[in-house]
Amino acid sequence: MSGYIQIIALIEVSLSCAALIILLMQKLSPKAWPFIVKAILAIALANLFFWPLGFSLELPLAAYVRGITGDFSVVTMLLLWGALIPSSKPTPLGFKVAIVVLAIVFYPFALGLGMTDPYAWGYGSITFLIDVILVAVICGLANWTKGVWIIAIAIIAWSAHWHESANLWDYLLDPFLVIWAIGTTLGAFYRRRQDKARSGYLFRPG
Amino acid sequence: MSRVIALCFLLLAGVIGFLHIDSRPVWAPFSMPVVAQVEEEPETSAVSKSKMPVKPSIANPLATWLPDTGAPSVHAASLIALNDGAIRAFWFAGSYEGAPDVSIYSAVLDPKANLWSTPTVVMDRVSAEKGLARYIAKVGNPVPSRLSDGRLQLFFVTVSIGGWAGSSISAMTSDDEGLTWSNPQRLISSPLLNLSTLVKSPAVQFADGRLGLPAYHEWVGRFGEFLRVDAGQVIDKRRMSSGRSAIQPLVFINNPQDAIAVFRQTRSAGQAKQIPVSASSNAGQSWDVMKDLPIANPNSAIAGVTLHNGPRLMVLNDIDYGRHRLVLMMGDAKGEHWQVLEVLEDDEATDPVHRKEFSYPYLISVDGNDAHLVYTWDRKKIRHRYFSGAWLMRAFNQHANVEVEDKVKELQ
Repeated sequence: MSGYIQIIALIEVSLSCAALIILLMQKLSPKAWPFIVKAILAIALANLFFWPLGFSLELPLAAYVRGITGDFSVVTMLLLWGALIPSSKPTPLGFKVAIVVLAIVFYPFALGLGMTDPYAWGYGSITFLIDVILVAVICGLANWTKGVWIIAIAIIAWSAHWHESANLWDYLLDPFLVIWAIGTTLGAFYRRRQDKARSGYLFRPG
Repeated sequence: MSRVIALCFLLLAGVIGFLHIDSRPVWAPFSMPVVAQVEEEPETSAVSKSKMPVKPSIANPLATWLPDTGAPSVHAASLIALNDGAIRAFWFAGSYEGAPDVSIYSAVLDPKANLWSTPTVVMDRVSAEKGLARYIAKVGNPVPSRLSDGRLQLFFVTVSIGGWAGSSISAMTSDDEGLTWSNPQRLISSPLLNLSTLVKSPAVQFADGRLGLPAYHEWVGRFGEFLRVDAGQVIDKRRMSSGRSAIQPLVFINNPQDAIAVFRQTRSAGQAKQIPVSASSNAGQSWDVMKDLPIANPNSAIAGVTLHNGPRLMVLNDIDYGRHRLVLMMGDAKGEHWQVLEVLEDDEATDPVHRKEFSYPYLISVDGNDAHLVYTWDRKKIRHRYFSGAWLMRAFNQHANVEVEDKVKELQ
């Protein structure tokens, strides 16, 4: 059981690293890349990360990344991989803000503030599972169907013990998702502010 | 339409999730060790039968050194009793604590010959990397336990980046009393990259055969956590303390529901340098912070064990600063009143700069009456000491008599 968990985790990390590199390269490129180019590149890069390269490296590159990052949450991975798909709908700002607010409350308590540990709810609290399902339903009502799929897959992955963790939190949230949510939320607010300032300049009486 | 399909899939996921939660084992009470028949105290029986003060021969505590690995730095020794009556020790050794060449070693004590076997490497950095499929920078803190099916399980910590605060716990099992070991498995117990969960003290057993592992964090917070472990994975955990003041919990079980935990204090300057205590009255499902045990603790580890006839033993540095004095203490069955039975090491006379360090004790009892102790001796060697049940009881009675006499004198 442990063996397949380790191989799956290395494949996931390899794919995630590949997806991240492609997205960063795409950002720097002036032209949009066709999906087929991204797919071929993703497979090539994922293989580069997954297989041991030899030289002085004891492990595959993905194992070095995993040593530092641990396993990514299912939500992070699916959002990252999904960003490669051309027709991918952008993640709603409300979802990102919710992640930021949740992280601000969750991490201090989970890391030792007080005797209440919200992380422990993830091992088997029905109330917590219902809350997660409600968040997914809200995503559906907000017309972000991808969010419903992602959260549902995360719940199934947790039930199937897909990763080393038996805690539902680890399938839903990780620090990289929070960093991405903070970055893109701040970016969105900054752009809105700029747009507002620009429109104010245009319509200012001369 | 796609939204309806997605919501149907969510419903399916929800049902699977509920079934998963429903299949989880209920929280079981603590397993109590089988109480051995308490042997008659040799001194008392001798006196009552002959009416003459006969002094029985009680062997003094034995002392040995764990075998030399050739490494200049050793630390964090632990012990477990094997089925044949031998004792297996684990410790880590390398060029310095946290060095990449540090390995976890093991050796077996033949109690009849009082000799240790040649040490073998149980786990090193490269084996841990291959088994856990990730980069590992260093290994440390081996803690063995006995599973309900008879196998041995060894918990140890690994670090991928940073110091010990970046540790995670891994576990592996042995079907042959520690000669060979399975691939390690990672225990996930923290939401922030699984950083900073360590283990030092022995696990306790639940009635359903699962283990309760006292663990601790020492990065953002410094607090104890009680991990419920099943087949090499954490299936639940409960906080034993909070904030930044108590690590390395050591659990004493009072009965199937009640337990207390004593901690190594990590308080900031100006706060009491005493042993923090937490208690649980529901088999570890929740813990309340209690009044400190009024014993000095200089931010150093504590070892302890409960004997079958009630008394408890602790080994610790009972000083405010430094680790140059190590004592063996015995307490009553409630763990409220403690007295020093023996000063094991004391380097007070040496100037402070050159004092030796005696630290990281680990205690076990094989028959419920005796005690085996290992501790780090100036980071260069691991000292092993054995206290027989007869010696412990005699020492306890002697101290109790002295205390009674002192109280009588005070009253007069």
